[in-house]
Amino acid sequence: MTCEIKEKARAGTVNPIFTCQPAGAQFVSIGVKDCIGIVHGGQGCVMFVRLIFSQHFKESFELASSSVHEDGAVFGACGRVEEGVDVLLSRYPNVKIIPIITTCSTEIIGDDVDGVVRKLNEGLLKEKYADREVHLIPIHTPSFVGSMVSGYDVAVHDFVKYFSKKDKPSLKINLITGWVNPGDVTELKHLLAEMDVEANVLFEIESFDSPLMPDGSEISHGGTTIEDLTATADAQGTIALNRYEGGKAAKFLEKRWDVPAIIGPTPIGIRNTDTFLQNLKSMTGKQIPPSLVRERGIAMDALTDLTHMFLADKKVAIYGNPDLVIGLAEYCLDLEMKPVLLLLGDDNPNYKTDPRLLALQENVDFEMEVITNADFWELEDRIKNKGLELDLILGHSKGRFVAIDYAIPMVRVGFPVYDRAGHYRYPVVGYKGATWLAEQMANALFTDMEYKKNKEWLLNVW
Amino acid sequence: MPHHEFECSKVIPERKEHAVIKGKGEDLTSCLPKGYLNTIPGSISERGCAYCGAKHVIGTPMKDVIHISHGPVGCTYDTWQTKRYISDNDNYQLKYTFATDVKEKHIVFGAEKLLKQNILEAFKAFPKIKRMTIYQTCATALIGDDINAIADEVMAEMPDVDIFVCNSPGFAGPSQSGGHHKINIAWINQKVGTLEPKITSDYVINYVGEYNIQGDQEVMTDYFKRMGIQVLSTFTGNGSYDDLRTMHRAHLNVLECARSAEYICDELRERYGIPRLDIDGFGFKPLADSLRKIGLFFGIEDRAEAIIAEETARWQPELDWYKARLQGKKVCLWPGGSKLWHWAHAIQEEMGVKVVSVYTKFGHQGDMEKGISRCGEGALAIDDPNELEGLEALDMLKPDVIFTGKRPGEMAKKVGVPYLNAHAYHNGPYKGFEGWVRFARDIYNAVYSPIHQLAMVDISKDEIPTDRGFVTRRMLSDKDLPVEITGSTVLSPYTGKFDSVSHLRTKTYPDFPRAGDAEEIIAVVEQGVQA
Repeated sequence: MTCEIKEKARAGTVNPIFTCQPAGAQFVSIGVKDCIGIVHGGQGCVMFVRLIFSQHFKESFELASSSVHEDGAVFGACGRVEEGVDVLLSRYPNVKIIPIITTCSTEIIGDDVDGVVRKLNEGLLKEKYADREVHLIPIHTPSFVGSMVSGYDVAVHDFVKYFSKKDKPSLKINLITGWVNPGDVTELKHLLAEMDVEANVLFEIESFDSPLMPDGSEISHGGTTIEDLTATADAQGTIALNRYEGGKAAKFLEKRWDVPAIIGPTPIGIRNTDTFLQNLKSMTGKQIPPSLVRERGIAMDALTDLTHMFLADKKVAIYGNPDLVIGLAEYCLDLEMKPVLLLLGDDNPNYKTDPRLLALQENVDFEMEVITNADFWELEDRIKNKGLELDLILGHSKGRFVAIDYAIPMVRVGFPVYDRAGHYRYPVVGYKGATWLAEQMANALFTDMEYKKNKEWLLNVW
Repeated sequence: MPHHEFECSKVIPERKEHAVIKGKGEDLTSCLPKGYLNTIPGSISERGCAYCGAKHVIGTPMKDVIHISHGPVGCTYDTWQTKRYISDNDNYQLKYTFATDVKEKHIVFGAEKLLKQNILEAFKAFPKIKRMTIYQTCATALIGDDINAIADEVMAEMPDVDIFVCNSPGFAGPSQSGGHHKINIAWINQKVGTLEPKITSDYVINYVGEYNIQGDQEVMTDYFKRMGIQVLSTFTGNGSYDDLRTMHRAHLNVLECARSAEYICDELRERYGIPRLDIDGFGFKPLADSLRKIGLFFGIEDRAEAIIAEETARWQPELDWYKARLQGKKVCLWPGGSKLWHWAHAIQEEMGVKVVSVYTKFGHQGDMEKGISRCGEGALAIDDPNELEGLEALDMLKPDVIFTGKRPGEMAKKVGVPYLNAHAYHNGPYKGFEGWVRFARDIYNAVYSPIHQLAMVDISKDEIPTDRGFVTRRMLSDKDLPVEITGSTVLSPYTGKFDSVSHLRTKTYPDFPRAGDAEEIIAVVEQGVQA
């Protein structure tokens, strides 16, 4: 019985699991209040990312492009950034922060974005916007490095690095959520409130699930303010839930401002949520209250109805963002399931030494594969040509056709989910998330049993 | 001048020339916004890139092809599963997309070797597919990879495969439209004339500028086949790579979306003398006229008339049911390029709605000419609109419904305007007689949605009626209609099925005798007489 961690052997990508770095930086950008990012590159780099956000959240988000055309590609396009900043500021009086997010094209032509920012700070901002607070933050996210995951990590770091500043010590903690859904943020805030922990939830996207108001006044936008970002240096500690989506910023705060950092685990499943609460307790001295014991009990009650009866030994393939995939795999093991294939969609060299993956290697008692730099063909080829039998797939909507064509039940989780309604509203973290995930998995299996007439009568007396 | 200056765009004066309001007695000479100019950076324009125009709009609807983008994964991921161009081969082109996955080391040392490896891997993974298109992206254009050379090398090594290369990086032009042009020209230069077709009819067309959104192409080719016309190729929806290599043998190019595909038609006329006929599959009258024109060209008007009569008899009462209920409803017609003129007149004439605004993201002035001339007085026309202008226009015009893309649709939702997807449709297809009724049905369902009405109620201020547990669409739409309409036994709401396309795939068509056949028959008869 082995668990292998290996990189995809093929050079190319058939059906990618991730998109590229600028998308991650754009996701961070929309999580900040009074902030509109300018993506420095071709227009598609923004247009499609806005589209995928709207596919997932069913909302529209504001992001601008420097609209690099041929002349810019040939002669340099720094002027497009200068013009873009001016146009944006002049039409959006509330905007205070403009991250300049680079792409493959503008990194290759070597546009000096940091230089442009210096020039604008000295020139345009002083001359035309002297009485206005404006922050221009260069964020380097060439598309040929990393993925949307590292783009998120880089941008969180760059925002925090730019704003964090010591004032006076605070009892608050920093909570960097990583790439999550509004439902996750609600659940995390709930756990923090129950623990009586005051937290600075960063790149806070709870309002991405925003209302349609009778007066038509609502626009979806993130809630993290300049003050929140500045105060990160005063916090008594940082918890970054995800190692690969915010871990870099947590390390920065520790090194630069002596703010102790705890990185991970993603509180997916009962055990990781327990750990999260224990981490909160040790960081703040606050006790875990009876209300959470009870809440946990409700989850345990639901799970014991499902695990050994229905979920045990079910073989699962999981793909998507690395912290999510690893968290789900760990939870599946607690649920007696067999996560036989994990697909991580980029070539981050740190995966090979991730302690969670090493623990899987040491302990799983079945054949398991972890593929890095993976694409969907790694999944489909195993099913189609190599005899892999699966009971369930966990992952985002881009893999939907594998589930459909091979008639494998699938639970949508991660980003993006556009082929199921309302998934962004439900948490996968915390005890509520654990319950929701297990019940979604069970219901997917039940529907499949009925659809295929495969022991569907089993449920008569459950 | 009737230029319209948006409050939100006063600080960018050049925008003023990109919007007009059509005034009384004004014609296009005084009422044409600028178009297809470089985008103003930072304006939050809705435009996409030239790679998208080439690969996503025109290239990938081709159904039996491995579509590889040579670049980092993002371009491929982003243009995958965001459109509804289906096909009759189980949607291969929707399901599979390929990226060469260019990383930093390739940027530094070149990615040609990587590209070749990718091509070989892809053919190996899908051994039955022997055709490939390769799309350049910003990254590989800038590092100067010679994609054509690699493609030639592979074709020399693997004689059974054929590869098309499209060099249209994202930055090549002000919008998607630059990419449309590039792939049109690349296709005729590289592929047209490299294969000879089997001709099975005396009437042979290419169906051009048609992308089979939700089955449009299949609906339209059904009419053509019923007329005994051979559709040699479709550029490109549900189209086959090899069929498109034979475009030079058609007698006529039937062009649907002139914005994206007139270039190849004009080249086919220039190089092979094939005439171009612009048609329109949207709307009963435009469609009927189109079928008539094609019939007239081939001298088979009777066949066109038979179809028009049959289809009109079947679907007119259902279209009219909606028309009676959509009278005067205000529409913002905000598509990408050509639909502003394909739809403006037809929806006003045949559905009774009023187009209060048209816009185009990537259209040229020619599209605006056609669009504005088909709108009524007071219509606001916007070229390359941006986020704030869109919101300001919605606030000013207060439309009942908007036809636009997915993301702007979400923006409209927030200000209480229901949206229909103009690019991918809601429940299409929208072409064809039945399709047009489906469109009317979707508009009706959006405009009279009880939920949309409830969304506008402020329970803290408004009077809440407590005497009803529900409202139906009919209760809203029929409130003030005369009894001749509400009680009509002729008119009917849509009676078609959820899937109106799949059944066409197994349909058989009559054999029409060919001119050659007639000669043979005569010869046989003459032989008989002589004997």
